[in-house]
Amino acid sequence: MSALRWGRGAAGLGRVLQSCGRRGLPTEEGTLGVGLGPRRSSSASPHEKDLRKDWGHVELLEVLEARVRQLQAESVSEVTVNKVDVARLPERGGGGGNFQPPRKAQMGAKGAAPQHFGRWAAKLDKEKQTMQKRKQRLEVKLQVRAQRLAQKLAEKLKPKPLQMEPRLGSFKELVYVFIMVKDAGFTPDLLSYAAALQCMGRLDQDARTIQRCLKQMARDRLQLQDLFTVVPLSEEERAALLRAIVKARPTFRPRLRPPPQVNTSTLLREVYAKDGPVSYPKLHLPLKTLQGFFQQQLHMELTASVCVESVEKAVLTKETMHARKTLTNLRVQWEAALHRALQETKASLARQAHEGRPTLYPFLCLLSEHEFVRLLTQTLQALPAQGKSFISVAQELGRRTFSRHMVQKQQLNNQVQALERRYTQYLRLLASDTQVAEPHLPRQYWEALGLPEAPQEKPWPVPVLLQLGRQLAELLVQAVQMPRSPAAPPGSCGLIPVLYHVYSFRSFRQIGILKPHPAFVQLLATAAEPMLTFETVDVPMLCPPRPWTSPHSGAFLLSPTKLMRAVEGTTQHQQLLERCPPAELHGALDTLTQLGNCAWRVNGHVLDLVLELFRDKGCSRLGVPPPPSEAPQPPEGRLPRDTPPARKAELRREMARCLKVAREMHSLRMDALYRLSLAQHLRHRIFWLPHNMDFRGRTYPCPPHFNHLGSDLARALLEFAEGRPLGPHGLDWLKIHLVNLTGLKKHASLRARLAFANEVMEDILDSADQPMAGRKWWMEADEPWQALACCVEIARAVRTPDPATYVSHLPVHQDGSCNGLQHYAALGRDSVGAASVNLMPSDLPQDVYSGVAAQVEAFRRQDAEQGLRVAQALEGFVSRKVVKQTVMTVVYGVTRYGGRLQIERRLRELSDFPQDFLWEASHYLVRQVFNSLQEMFSSTRAIQHWLTESARLISHTGSAVEWVTPLGIPVIQPYHQEAKFTIRGGIQSITCSKAKDSSQKPNIKKQKNGFPPNFIHSLDSSHMMLTALHCYRKGLTFVSVHDCFWTHAADIAIMNQVCREQFVRLHSQPILQDLSAFLVKRFCSSPSFQPRSVAQRAQMAKLMETLQSLPETGNFDLEQVKRSTYFFS
Amino acid sequence: MWVPVAGLPPRLKLSALAGAGRFCIWESGASTRKHFPAKNHRGFSDSYPQLLPYPDFNESPSSVSKCRLEPKRYVTSRRLAETVAQILRGKLERPRHLLLECNPGPGILTQALLRTGAKVVALESDRTFIPHLESLRKNLPGSLEVIHCDFFKIDPRGGGLVRPPTMVSHTLFQNLGIEARPWSAGIPLKVIGIFPIKNERRTLWKFLYNLYACTSIYRYGRIELNMFIGEKEYQKLMANKNSNLYDVLSVLWQIACEIKVLHVESLKPIEQKLYFIQMRPRRGLFTENLTPVNYDVFFHMLKHCFGKRSARLIDHLHSLTPVDAKDILMQIQKSEKVKVTHMHPQDFKRLFETIECSKDYAHKWLYDDSMGDTEHPEK
Repeated sequence: MSALRWGRGAAGLGRVLQSCGRRGLPTEEGTLGVGLGPRRSSSASPHEKDLRKDWGHVELLEVLEARVRQLQAESVSEVTVNKVDVARLPERGGGGGNFQPPRKAQMGAKGAAPQHFGRWAAKLDKEKQTMQKRKQRLEVKLQVRAQRLAQKLAEKLKPKPLQMEPRLGSFKELVYVFIMVKDAGFTPDLLSYAAALQCMGRLDQDARTIQRCLKQMARDRLQLQDLFTVVPLSEEERAALLRAIVKARPTFRPRLRPPPQVNTSTLLREVYAKDGPVSYPKLHLPLKTLQGFFQQQLHMELTASVCVESVEKAVLTKETMHARKTLTNLRVQWEAALHRALQETKASLARQAHEGRPTLYPFLCLLSEHEFVRLLTQTLQALPAQGKSFISVAQELGRRTFSRHMVQKQQLNNQVQALERRYTQYLRLLASDTQVAEPHLPRQYWEALGLPEAPQEKPWPVPVLLQLGRQLAELLVQAVQMPRSPAAPPGSCGLIPVLYHVYSFRSFRQIGILKPHPAFVQLLATAAEPMLTFETVDVPMLCPPRPWTSPHSGAFLLSPTKLMRAVEGTTQHQQLLERCPPAELHGALDTLTQLGNCAWRVNGHVLDLVLELFRDKGCSRLGVPPPPSEAPQPPEGRLPRDTPPARKAELRREMARCLKVAREMHSLRMDALYRLSLAQHLRHRIFWLPHNMDFRGRTYPCPPHFNHLGSDLARALLEFAEGRPLGPHGLDWLKIHLVNLTGLKKHASLRARLAFANEVMEDILDSADQPMAGRKWWMEADEPWQALACCVEIARAVRTPDPATYVSHLPVHQDGSCNGLQHYAALGRDSVGAASVNLMPSDLPQDVYSGVAAQVEAFRRQDAEQGLRVAQALEGFVSRKVVKQTVMTVVYGVTRYGGRLQIERRLRELSDFPQDFLWEASHYLVRQVFNSLQEMFSSTRAIQHWLTESARLISHTGSAVEWVTPLGIPVIQPYHQEAKFTIRGGIQSITCSKAKDSSQKPNIKKQKNGFPPNFIHSLDSSHMMLTALHCYRKGLTFVSVHDCFWTHAADIAIMNQVCREQFVRLHSQPILQDLSAFLVKRFCSSPSFQPRSVAQRAQMAKLMETLQSLPETGNFDLEQVKRSTYFFS
Repeated sequence: MWVPVAGLPPRLKLSALAGAGRFCIWESGASTRKHFPAKNHRGFSDSYPQLLPYPDFNESPSSVSKCRLEPKRYVTSRRLAETVAQILRGKLERPRHLLLECNPGPGILTQALLRTGAKVVALESDRTFIPHLESLRKNLPGSLEVIHCDFFKIDPRGGGLVRPPTMVSHTLFQNLGIEARPWSAGIPLKVIGIFPIKNERRTLWKFLYNLYACTSIYRYGRIELNMFIGEKEYQKLMANKNSNLYDVLSVLWQIACEIKVLHVESLKPIEQKLYFIQMRPRRGLFTENLTPVNYDVFFHMLKHCFGKRSARLIDHLHSLTPVDAKDILMQIQKSEKVKVTHMHPQDFKRLFETIECSKDYAHKWLYDDSMGDTEHPEK
């Protein structure tokens, strides 16, 4: 079996040779994709170059050709064997219907599997892309064909792919590879040696061979110990490796675990201090229960998808039943058809692979056919009526295949059992009825329980994902058919396809769309099937998430999750994280773990009320989308024959309008349907929301449909699973929280808000008791559903004999007031600015928007007096509302252009504003808003300007802006110049953007405009993380929505204190100085940036100068923040 | 050749005035655009009015400067102006149509038209020319009106603020007192102009969408365009089946309008020709089955077909409609092997109508609204 891989590999080489012979460069190489990121291979290594010089090209060519022939000859017979095996597979898989992939048995027998083949092929593909890259770069230099060829061969056989070799024990091939690697001028790396030694261990090679190998390794300056600490190995692999080494060096003992690393950041010193009071929170659940939860989640992830009952209740008519029956019958046929089509495709691809052409065959062997068919039918089911773009279907399919493959791989490697053991032990830290010897953070405890997890397989590059997805989607289009009229009995009329591959035309672009036949859509609608299917990763977890221990392991139990979310194919973030010392990331890892460890439950009371509305007519004002029956109906009836075209045109516009509204309503409705169905599904359970972060460190829950980041409705559906007694002040905080949610008393002091709540207590109780029939006070609130939930909580609390003992589950929020400006003001120690964003203690909350509006008004009055017409026309129209959005977004980088549009929109809403002035007025106002901000936040503008200018100069040198947050998270801005790559072939060519690809030049405009807001976001995320970590140490439940912090009512006081302390701690660091120093080190003194020309040198000098001339700061005393009541409120 | 330039502001230097030409380029100061030769093409003028330094550099609104820098072409030769005026006057002394002249610029053609006794509305997008045109109006009261308006940017897509020179056709026509005429009635007015040099194709598409949808200017009836068009686009417009240039644009225009070449003028220095063509919408364009309600499906069908022009028609039909493709081809009497490029424009119309009126099918098209742009393409 192993030789098949060789067969393919060698045959592939053969093809390269052939095609080179015929027409220079093989163009097919390009088809496999260009998209892979920045894996700059060692092409520039001096070693290799020397070799190239020394060797006669012809000689090299001959050697390689001979070797290829040899390999080909060896492989052929084995390939045939393999094909037979594969051909036999489907029968077993299809007939049995058992979950285990049928090839498992075979694997046991042979010890190798198509799966490995797949990995090899995946690697190969990856290598190819790298090659493509390099080819372009080298083309100029390399003119001799043989040289280029050698290059390619070398690329393919670069040490990397070796890592999966050893399991096969195919020593001979391994030696060949080593020779070829050497031939091509590469040095084998640790992975290669680990592979080789494992192989020897397995084959029980004699000590001399191993000795030689070790010697060679020493010559390459590689440490033996590193094999065990750097290279990810499974238990079994370790054993094999050790067996080999011990044979040669009987005294050798591997250092088992790398010494625990400690984070050294000053900001985090207290968090990781061993001494001092620690009371990490525990869950309120006993071990047994948690173990049960774990089993449920494990089962869910192993099945990859979850069926959830829809909350939409269909009326069961005869038609519905009939349609359901028809669908069921059709599905049986489709599954059979898909099975058939898949087998045929695989067979033909296998033939191609045999002929030595690169194919997707190995990928199609990764999952069982049953699994693929299930994936495809789910895709078909989920296709919206108006169709879905082909490229997104393809990407989705590719991604899901990868994720299922990853889960299955762990299952096959016995990693699931290992996980189960480790997780059960880990639960002892969290469960309410178990004790651990000394306090540990979840990550620390998990790390103490075993070896670090091996990095998982690198995600497949986008071109591979897309090609695989395209192949699968093509199957779907070809195989799935239905009778011309679905109502007719089967076989009575001809079959037509269910899916159509059509094109949509936008401007001059052409977009491929997969569109279901309208009759199929109709059938689905009539059947109104009661189940929705979700991917496991789209559903909250049923047990505490796996703690984040490294950039590649955490969150879901088996399904791969990225620590830093990014668009598919963006690799630079992950690389940066992997490269950074593990301890540096502890702050981020622990925060994410902790946010994910917060247990949630559904607020059943709110859910009931929402569902009632949802199943009735909905209510747009309350955020419950109405059903399609409420959509405007287009005018019906056939037009008379002689209707003039102009009338028809009007009609068409009317129809288009109705359709647009209906479509928008439908998408809102579906969104709500998913959310509510999931809520209903989880109603009596406890669940967890695993978190990850974006490239600036802002945290997000992973499950997309149902989480605490959503709208008012979504937030109101959630509450803490664990309750806390209100304590002495909890009730007051509940009341203040309610008033905050209504948005009625924004300018009032806390005391006044509390007084207001007591005043309207009757309304509150009425809202709680008869929300739908009473006075409906809650409906007028800014956030009605959360207000209602709060009303209910307050009612329950006040009706408890002693409210202080009432156990509350409701999260209470504290919001940063214009958090971006707060950070700017603190960075610049800007007293005036600080006062207006509540960094200074004050009796009443300051409102920055009113402040700006007043300043703008002052400017306006001056101008009006000088006779400026616009200024005169604007008299009486400059209000807080007009400027608010612009002020809020200015910190996040809104430009004058965007600001003008915002203000224009506000002015348009004012009915009495003379609309002729719109353009001039909005143009004038946005300028005044910017001027006012400059006046009020002088240092803010200075810092923004410094950041922008630095970013501009950095991107001019050709690099993307990078920095490190105060907590140590490395950040890089993924904005690059637009470039496209096209993957041809198949049902349609796919063109993708490479704007995130770090090998492209940076997009200067985006880099420049993005830096200030991104930097501020990296600060606010640092503040959140610090607060989270300290709250955890104090035993609080803490979650956040960026700059809005949530905890129990009883703990608000502690959280507020921590939040302020940490803000002061954070800004007491020399943040800008550190940034400047980092940027200078990274961009001015690195050897790769040696300027060549005079212009470059001047540019570099300018950059250096800019980076070092930090903006001046004011004299605001940070300590005052600690006493500011309205800093976060 | 002498050209009257009374009333022109000094900042625009008519570089063409000195040379002998029928068209010329307007240019002021040094032009940075190298790909547009600053030479005068005979008889036309292309202009790049330069921005006056804006009082505050930081505030210069980019949107304005962008449209200001578009090169424009003007008729500057009296002979050419006379020729055009004579053509438009026609042989018969029928009731004269109102003429809308787009971007008259220095007003040479305007004067020629006025001399034939026509009533002219001058729609000028460049403010610099307005005073000059106004002075013409004062000389000939009653027969000339001058409006600051860019005809080619009329009825912008997506709403937003409409500021002069962009206008809404509704306002414009109302101010001019023009009333809508039924499609079946005669021509309400004629438009004369030169397609914008850089946007000929986009402008053609914009008119097409408006024409088939009966919106914008075509709400007022079958408005006739008399336009100068570059050779390249002209050839595409008039391409016949089997030609390489035969494309969606050719098919749609040829179905929609009778297109006549009225005059050909060659631009000597750059070896190019400008065609003066008449595009008169056909009275019989709309039928029972092709209407402003479903024209977008027709557009989509054509774009789809020409997306892979060498393919057989039947293959395209499979992705376009659930209706039995063989059956349809039989009805329009085409063989199954017929290729897209073998179809005459009218064949496409017939094909569409046949599918549209096919019975026994609840769903005639796979297309739905979300798949096409209902407006003209932006770029």
